Amino acid sequence: MDPDKDNANPTILLASDLPSRRLSNPSSTSKPRADGSTGLFDALIPSYTYLNDPFAPRSPSSSEADSDDENVFEEIDEQEVYDLISTISDPEHPLSLGSLAVVNLPDIHIDTAPTTSRNPISTVTVLVTPTITHCSLATVIGLGVRVRLEQALPPRFRVDVRIKEGTHSTGEAVNKQLGDKERVAAALENGTLMGVLRKMLATCV
Amino acid sequence: MTSATAHTHTIKPLATLTPSSTSRAWSSAPHPYLPILATACSDKTVRVYSLTSFTHLSTISGGHKRSIRSCAWKPGVRNESVLATGSFDASAGIWRRWEEGSGAMKEDAEPVDFTNGVKDDDEEEEDEEWRFAVVLDGHESEIKSVAWSAGGQFLATCSRDKSVWIWEEMEDDNFETIAVLQDHEGDVKCVAWHPEEELLASASYDDTIRLWREDLDDWTCVSVLNGHEATVWCVDFELVENASLVTEQLSEPQQALLDARKQAGPRLISCSDDLTIRVWKRNPKQKTEVPTGQGRMPSIFKNNSIEEDWVEEAQLPSVHDRAIYTAAWSKRTGRVVSTGSDGKIVVYQEKWRDTSNLNGNGHAASEGKGEMTGGDTAMTGAIEEDSDSPLTEWVVVAELDGAHDVFEVNHVCWVKRCDKGRRNDAEEVIVSTGDDGEVKVWTIEGS
Repeated sequence: MDPDKDNANPTILLASDLPSRRLSNPSSTSKPRADGSTGLFDALIPSYTYLNDPFAPRSPSSSEADSDDENVFEEIDEQEVYDLISTISDPEHPLSLGSLAVVNLPDIHIDTAPTTSRNPISTVTVLVTPTITHCSLATVIGLGVRVRLEQALPPRFRVDVRIKEGTHSTGEAVNKQLGDKERVAAALENGTLMGVLRKMLATCV
Repeated sequence: MTSATAHTHTIKPLATLTPSSTSRAWSSAPHPYLPILATACSDKTVRVYSLTSFTHLSTISGGHKRSIRSCAWKPGVRNESVLATGSFDASAGIWRRWEEGSGAMKEDAEPVDFTNGVKDDDEEEEDEEWRFAVVLDGHESEIKSVAWSAGGQFLATCSRDKSVWIWEEMEDDNFETIAVLQDHEGDVKCVAWHPEEELLASASYDDTIRLWREDLDDWTCVSVLNGHEATVWCVDFELVENASLVTEQLSEPQQALLDARKQAGPRLISCSDDLTIRVWKRNPKQKTEVPTGQGRMPSIFKNNSIEEDWVEEAQLPSVHDRAIYTAAWSKRTGRVVSTGSDGKIVVYQEKWRDTSNLNGNGHAASEGKGEMTGGDTAMTGAIEEDSDSPLTEWVVVAELDGAHDVFEVNHVCWVKRCDKGRRNDAEEVIVSTGDDGEVKVWTIEGS
């Protein structure tokens, strides 16, 4: 074991134990898109196409756990968000954030804006659990999650990545950095940091 | 989109400046006297647009290696335009362009090509020759904001390195650093100058606002404004005596309030991650009294000190549900416009509070605490500070959702309307700048 690493002996989950869509609540109405794609690749489509899509009226049902009332043109639920981030590599170990339980499905929430608003902004909140309480790479991991989601989700999603309360000694300081749009934007222009992030995101689908 | 329920006015789209940038646009600055606007973009350029035709005029490029976060036109300059740019590459740039007829370029000024030969060939060779005159190095990390003082004598820059730098132009293209102010405990997000005095305000990631002034050749912090509970993104000073408050039949306390404000000088507005917009006012100093305001005093307390006492006067009504990135105070009408992560544009106005619930002679309920009848304006505290019912209140006059569709809006400002459709010389439009790369112009209808 490498004594230089923050957490030399992390708990590793088996890939088969991680939540996946097959095992999720069968009542979720996963409506496939007309062209057969899954929605994961929507980031490649220029964002302006969303402007042309008709906004079907939303059913006012939403409870927090069930975000599947987005029956319009996008079907993005917590499972999909989990699928996007669970394959991010940990910067220290050759393991994914999912198998290290750094990201967990129950710690992902999607809030949809009230139906009376013309603006269909949704907020995705992801709580990240560092492997140990003083993990120095918590900021980098949080940044990786945020960057991944900002790139993969349509622009109507606001991404809030936070360190789960009680799991990190300087959680609030890390949260403040992760929540600062300017800092995140500048970090993405930092060559060294982008190198680390690219390595982390290389294992994503 | 009209919100017929609450608001008296609506924000209507007038134009989108085209062609827009394809990458995030951070902020825009209107020229002091020409009908043009400069927009700082994350593709390392500044785009200059016309406010008469709403079209793109030229692109300033080649001087910065990273996103340009902020730009500002130097005021009080004739015959040329001077633009300061602040970039994530930690440097600030000064760009110049002659405005008097073609061929008036200085012969000895060799335009330096910072583009390594890859010039922007799209633009026609009009008179649009921007010269990259100076690069201002010094900051250790990204510059967040640049601002010229009212007379154009000083340029302030601020950065993630927690410092505020003040530069003074000695002679053409020779800038000297006259202050490096490091009191903030976090990134400094925004700097703004007082419209009349040489007083600088800075907003910071450390949740505070600081005010700075020159004292015997040394710039120093003269006040710390505490109150916000999260990063303060933006500060802006008031300029005009609030037009909507100057009505005909002013009662005595109302007139006294306006007099007090005039004596204290322009107020300051700030907006924050804590979803509030706050108005701060200065309590003018008494000759004999030591300032004992609510602000945390700087640690070095000089006798006959130049410290100032600034206090929070009001909070604007809560409308935004995500971080508020910019609040701007109209220099003409006194209205405030704000925008932020939720993509809304909101306009507020200060009004006289309805005095029908006060006692008969128009004095606020807790009369006797302050001098309300004019005369000797000994201000031991502002009039409404001690009373339970302030004389004025802020109301929302207009609100717009989704100004840039689903994208965040980073910046908003008031600009004098210059296009053919303007109704009068005093009309203002709102210019918003967003993550979609677009810069949009809006009018307010209903007044």
